[in-house]
Amino acid sequence: MSIIDVKELKAYYSTEKYGRIYRVRAVDGVSFQVHKNEIFGIAGESGCGKSTLLKAVSGLIKPPLEIMEGEVVYNFDDIRLDILSLKEDKQRRKVRGVRISHVPQGSMSVLNPVRRIKKSFHDIVDAHLKIEDRTLFDDMVKKHLDALGLDWSVMHAFPHQLSGGMRQRITIALATILKPDIIFADEPTTALDVVVQRGVVQLIKKIKKEQQNTLIMVTHDLAIHANLCDRLAIMYAGKIVEEADVDIMFNQPKHPYTLMLLKSLPKLGDKSNRVSAPGAPPSLIHVPSGCRFHPRCPEAMERCRKENPELIEAGKGHRVACFLEEGSK
Amino acid sequence: MKINLKKSPSKNSRLNKVEVEKASSKSLNVEDLTKVFSKGQGFAKSTIAAVNKVSFSLDLDRPEIFTLAGESGSGKSTVAKLILGFETATSGRIRYKGEEITDLKGKKEFMRDVQPVFQNPFETFNPLKKIDTYLYETEKNFKMAETDRDQLVEKSLELVGLSLAEIKGKYPSEMSGGQLQRTSIARALITDPSLLITDEPVSMIDASLRMSIINLFKRLKEEQEVGIIYITHDLATAYYVSDRIAIMLRGQIVEMGSVEKVLDNPLHPYTQLLKASIPAPNPASKWESDIALSDLEAKEFSQRGCKFSGRCPKVQAICKECEPENYKVEDRDVKCHLYK
Repeated sequence: MSIIDVKELKAYYSTEKYGRIYRVRAVDGVSFQVHKNEIFGIAGESGCGKSTLLKAVSGLIKPPLEIMEGEVVYNFDDIRLDILSLKEDKQRRKVRGVRISHVPQGSMSVLNPVRRIKKSFHDIVDAHLKIEDRTLFDDMVKKHLDALGLDWSVMHAFPHQLSGGMRQRITIALATILKPDIIFADEPTTALDVVVQRGVVQLIKKIKKEQQNTLIMVTHDLAIHANLCDRLAIMYAGKIVEEADVDIMFNQPKHPYTLMLLKSLPKLGDKSNRVSAPGAPPSLIHVPSGCRFHPRCPEAMERCRKENPELIEAGKGHRVACFLEEGSK
Repeated sequence: MKINLKKSPSKNSRLNKVEVEKASSKSLNVEDLTKVFSKGQGFAKSTIAAVNKVSFSLDLDRPEIFTLAGESGSGKSTVAKLILGFETATSGRIRYKGEEITDLKGKKEFMRDVQPVFQNPFETFNPLKKIDTYLYETEKNFKMAETDRDQLVEKSLELVGLSLAEIKGKYPSEMSGGQLQRTSIARALITDPSLLITDEPVSMIDASLRMSIINLFKRLKEEQEVGIIYITHDLATAYYVSDRIAIMLRGQIVEMGSVEKVLDNPLHPYTQLLKASIPAPNPASKWESDIALSDLEAKEFSQRGCKFSGRCPKVQAICKECEPENYKVEDRDVKCHLYK
């Protein structure tokens, strides 16, 4: 049963310069489904549109971001919700926090620097549940923090008094206090140290186990995806190029871009030469014709320059957008 | 060779001579380097030893890539700043070719020989300044070119896989992060340095381009004989690129030795924890067990005895009381009571 259904989503940033309109095609025709109770990962380089995709899917649409086409539907147990058709921000606000929640990147700038952590918790709880009794609120937060293994003393601290890892854990605790069905996490472990990163992954796993929610996670760190996710999609220049279960993705990748990414990862205990791909990711204003990866692809054919490959089935739950796969069938 | 005897007094003149001879080879010696930051005033004043008696030495005749690794707040960047002269040490000495360089005034030779590469290429360059001017300015400051300036700039750009035609007249915003970082390295290479100090040089670079920068360091070491101090928290790239590694924790080096020895078979419990925390890009080896995290950084800095004793799984009574010394175990230095 899919809980999120994304169909042909196109989200562009529009800018005007000297009377001409430029469109940054950050998400350009993306379709995928997320099943209930799974951790779905989205990976790719910076500037490939993964964060924009997450914004569009979670309904955080503010100019210059525009939805050009497509739909995003949440299938909750009791209600079917088309997030993009909810025009009013008020209606979306009712869904946020309770049904879906967002763990933003960069915990440094997320928490209000002049409010104690407790106030931040109070803000989010107060916006959705009207709890008059302060002891009831305290109990609720305390229970949540206990479950996550965080100390109550941090509640009285200001954000600058806490370390980066602690702030990130607080941000996650804030996002999950109302037990949302879907959690969107944007680079939750980036800019953290390895040990703290492991602590955050540990925390996310714990929350998922307890609250039984669905998680969509965006990060460029493939090793984190390998550790945490059930299914993984690789994005390149606004499109999903490959989607599969993590085991399949890491053991039998099909798309040349995925292969290249995996090959460049250094491993402990292995000093053999690693090479990274030639060239750089394309600009999303002037995208290459045909397959967007063809200028960097070692196996590019004549056809790749002209036609755009569609995502096709390459096995159970494994989809690839490459003519090589089509040819092998 | 100029030796400043006033700054390094020694009662035994013979010993002093030996020391001078040893140090006059091309090397960088860091001895008991300490940097104490203080905050607050009056009774609320507290101090943090960001770098606490750090010692290591690099032999630049045999160039190597030396990694300083650790979590944020371990003092690894402060060590770089101290060597480069951005901060003044509270105590301890840094000697380059036997000469003390704690004060950089008039040490142009050192500044030419040791060049920095910074973390964020987008912030390194002034956005309103054309990028090639940085290369020409560095050349001018150190008067490197005798005849043809363009040729020298072109040559150092070639070393990093760029050409002058590619960057001439361009602003930083017109280039990708990878290209900018390459230019940053090319700028450092203009002066033909013998040591590069690179502070998290790839943390802002895309995953698919990261290895090209790392491979560039490897090539510079092998072909240009440039020694590199590589500061990072990414142990996987450290393992790939470096020869020696020092693991830092709260201002102290807790384990130091060859990278294969330290990371294949870590001895200090903290290194063991770090190694176990590196995510493997393999779904078959997911983390199963839970780890303890430090709640408050400041608490660990002011910890008596071993700084790791608050989280160490092998903690003993002695760890909380007295600070361990450096013990030589299996060709490396380990700062842990377990190896007494």
